[in-house]
Amino acid sequence: MLTVMRARACPFLMAGLTAAALAFGAAGAQAQDLKIMAPAAPGGGWDQTARAMQQALVQSGAAQSVQVFNVPGAGGTIGIAQFVNTSKGDPNVLMASGYVMMGAILTNKSPVGLDKVTPIARLIQETDAIAVPVNSPLKTVQDLAELVRKDPARVTWAGGSAGGPDHIAAALFTQKVGSDPTKLNYIPFSGGGEALAAILGGKVTAGMSGLGELESQVKAGKLRLLAITQAERIPGLDVPTLKEAGIDVALANWRAIMAPPGLTPDQVKSVTAMIEKMAKSQAWADILKQKGWDDAFLAGEPFVAFLKDENASTADILKSVGLIKP
Amino acid sequence: MQIKSKPDGPGMLVAAGLLALAGIIFWDTTQLAQRTVYGLGPEAAPRVVAAGLALLAVANFVQALRGALPSRGTADRRPLLLIVGGMAALMAVLTFGGGYILATAILFTATATAFGRRAYAADFAIGLAVGVATYLLFAKLLTLSLPMGPLERLF
Amino acid sequence: METFDALLQGLSVAALPGNLIFALIGVLLGTAVGVLPGIGPALTVALLLPVTYKLDPAGSLIMFAGIYYGGMYGGSTTAILINTPGESASMATALEGYRMARAGRGAQALATAAIGSFVAGTIATLGLTFLAPWLVELAVQMGPEDYFALMCVAFVTVSATFGDSPVRGLTSLFVGLAIGLVGIDRLTGQPRLAFGMPELLDGIDVTTLAVGLFAIGEALYVASMRGHATEQVESVRGSLWMSLDDWARSWKAWIRGAFIGFPIGALPAGGAEIPTFLSYSIEKKLSRHPEEFGHGAIEGVAGPEAANNASAAGTLVPLLTLGLPTSATAAMMLAGFQQYGLNPGPLLFAEQPQLVWGLIASLYIANLMLLVLNLPLVGLWVRLLAIPQPWLYAGILVFATMGTIVAKASVTELALLTAFGLMGYVMRRFDYPIAPVVVGLILGPMAETQLRRAMAISLGDPMVLVTSPVSASLLTIAAIALLAPFAMSGLGRFKAAED
Repeated sequence: MLTVMRARACPFLMAGLTAAALAFGAAGAQAQDLKIMAPAAPGGGWDQTARAMQQALVQSGAAQSVQVFNVPGAGGTIGIAQFVNTSKGDPNVLMASGYVMMGAILTNKSPVGLDKVTPIARLIQETDAIAVPVNSPLKTVQDLAELVRKDPARVTWAGGSAGGPDHIAAALFTQKVGSDPTKLNYIPFSGGGEALAAILGGKVTAGMSGLGELESQVKAGKLRLLAITQAERIPGLDVPTLKEAGIDVALANWRAIMAPPGLTPDQVKSVTAMIEKMAKSQAWADILKQKGWDDAFLAGEPFVAFLKDENASTADILKSVGLIKP
Repeated sequence: MQIKSKPDGPGMLVAAGLLALAGIIFWDTTQLAQRTVYGLGPEAAPRVVAAGLALLAVANFVQALRGALPSRGTADRRPLLLIVGGMAALMAVLTFGGGYILATAILFTATATAFGRRAYAADFAIGLAVGVATYLLFAKLLTLSLPMGPLERLF
Repeated sequence: METFDALLQGLSVAALPGNLIFALIGVLLGTAVGVLPGIGPALTVALLLPVTYKLDPAGSLIMFAGIYYGGMYGGSTTAILINTPGESASMATALEGYRMARAGRGAQALATAAIGSFVAGTIATLGLTFLAPWLVELAVQMGPEDYFALMCVAFVTVSATFGDSPVRGLTSLFVGLAIGLVGIDRLTGQPRLAFGMPELLDGIDVTTLAVGLFAIGEALYVASMRGHATEQVESVRGSLWMSLDDWARSWKAWIRGAFIGFPIGALPAGGAEIPTFLSYSIEKKLSRHPEEFGHGAIEGVAGPEAANNASAAGTLVPLLTLGLPTSATAAMMLAGFQQYGLNPGPLLFAEQPQLVWGLIASLYIANLMLLVLNLPLVGLWVRLLAIPQPWLYAGILVFATMGTIVAKASVTELALLTAFGLMGYVMRRFDYPIAPVVVGLILGPMAETQLRRAMAISLGDPMVLVTSPVSASLLTIAAIALLAPFAMSGLGRFKAAED
């Protein structure tokens, strides 16, 4: 018995020691001491992205030690303001970012926008999907489009927070099927959990949510997916994209990594190389698989162009639903 | 609870504060953008709260006027100023980059003084020790970030 | 019986000596970190999750469960000892717990909290084992109108925290409601009462308000009243153990707390705040010593603590059966489960029975370990109160501000903390009750959001509130609770006139 216990206690001790060594090591190695800001509270999407990067960067050898710190608030706009003000010219601090922040900057009229940071790379993305309960009379996305055309007010949507990707997707859908997006009856819920409960309970006509949150309910036969919002089909998933259904919407919720303003071209290059090394590593691939995230690595000029396009189209749709005053 | 018969000045001030709060909330609802919403708009709840506060302000005012408030002992202002001053110093030190440990030590000393101690140097030393210990715990073991200053960079 | 066998199987794995040690270490770490200010259970789990990475799945799962329970109990410890609730769920505990600690009965308060957590945890684990699939079917049928009606019940019972003047109690409540309006309106995304400050867009943090009002307000008040004969703080008066009377007054409160906490916690929008405050009100109504409430009534700690723990187990119902994380802690747990290859959702019980029952058994064992570890430590904790007054309060202030600095390092947040401290001082001076402010801040936004969701879905038709049977019956309960005291006193006067 004693030996069993000792053998079992050993891994813990090792784990504890490594944890301590990692923690203290962070202070020692100054040169490669990287910090990543998660502009949200622990547990949220950006926090998980930052902590996943922390793990992958160290495991792939792209960085010696990585520390994650949280600056929560106002959809990331507090984080980005602090990031731009205090980290200017420092190549050892990065910030997790994404589509939600882009929307929040627009709706909160944040004085500091994504044009103030140095874009490094888009890392992952997740498509939104339109779901209805299995007993809903709506069988295809065309049925839903028909209903929206008839009377958008009577079609209630459940999804995440006001002005977030789910809201934008629902507004775009309403607009592109030829109805009036200002008449959209969108009910925001905090977090995916509550919205999903409302969809399952049949409290709303349809739900707009990240595919990952809906998937297990679909497998269990409780929800039916009508369409996904991103442009490309997902292999192995027999659900049409909105484009295939003739509705001109292409939207995915992406997460990216940004560097502070004022870096030299060489610094930008070396940071990009480090992130690319991480993104191409086995460690990162394993994490993506475990978390169910889709790789969407995009760096350099194409990423900058992508940001510009997204910003313009997001501003347009937010204006049309009245979330930003024209 | 002792009933005084004289009007209670500070009590009336509290009532006036409530009324002002009601006014601010009501004014804020007039700043909201108008647009299509189904059911209740964003201004409904604030207006109910503002109306409730206005009514309660009147009720509190009447109580104060009749002197029907519980009696209060005389309060000592000095400790109040010391503690609030300690908090203000904490914020100032953090804003100007003095760091977490120094800020904590100042707040500790100010509060201990407010509670009647006069050993400033000893209290400041204890405050520094508390600051260093908690800093090491949070920043090094739990890898949480605390505001940095000259003292923090020594570790 | 199949589920019962599966649970026993899980228990036999979790109870291996090696796994018991992991549970103990987990509880120890969880309590140690959870007791730090500003670190609630969610952050505790987030910080300590990496420690469990290197263990085998069974060991790491049980250590994880230990960390979770340790983190929760750590929050109650600070609420009781220094009036600094680490999260909104331990707010109700602070009301009576801190008064007990001041009266030298901190040990009993901590003990009833630990034992109550265990009793409630046991009941809730049984509930999870046998009722989860059935309960979850009911839970998703709750619409916004039903939640709104539940909030109405909660609002009515809040009057238990009002003290002896309805006008002053209502004033406190409305100030709390006003504070709850600050921030982005959840339905339209527009800022309200934010005055252009980005820090206010997310609204006022409940812990900032509670720590300001409770801990800093108290420190200011005690300091300003030092000239008068103030109460003497004793760390221990008499025995450390709960007396027979304490047991007699606690056990019913534990059980009631568990039966309130578990079902509400299982609702996707139920949370831990409503059950803890409901339990507090019910204990005050049912107590044979209602006059002790506000001065350290043990039922007022036993009930809410049990309710808090049971509601935490309740959140596992939607988490495991639907994959719905309904609180920050649940979201962290979801991240933890995924690390063990456990994918919560409707298929979980069918596809991975060993892991699920292993987890449920681990939670149960961890709960037991919490008791084993913390009862002997109770005596140590209360010795903290023997620190001389100036240093004790200086330490409390340092801890209170540290919590804010760790959670949100901004001057605005610290200024708010100071302002709420001053507000707490003024409210104590003028004898306004403190708790209703916090309750208003918690319940107000929830009630508003749910009502407006219901009205948006019904396109503005208020009849939706009475056509749903759940909502209609809850509203009836609220109405009865509101009117019964008046009816009773009317009846009393009638009888008195007859005599």
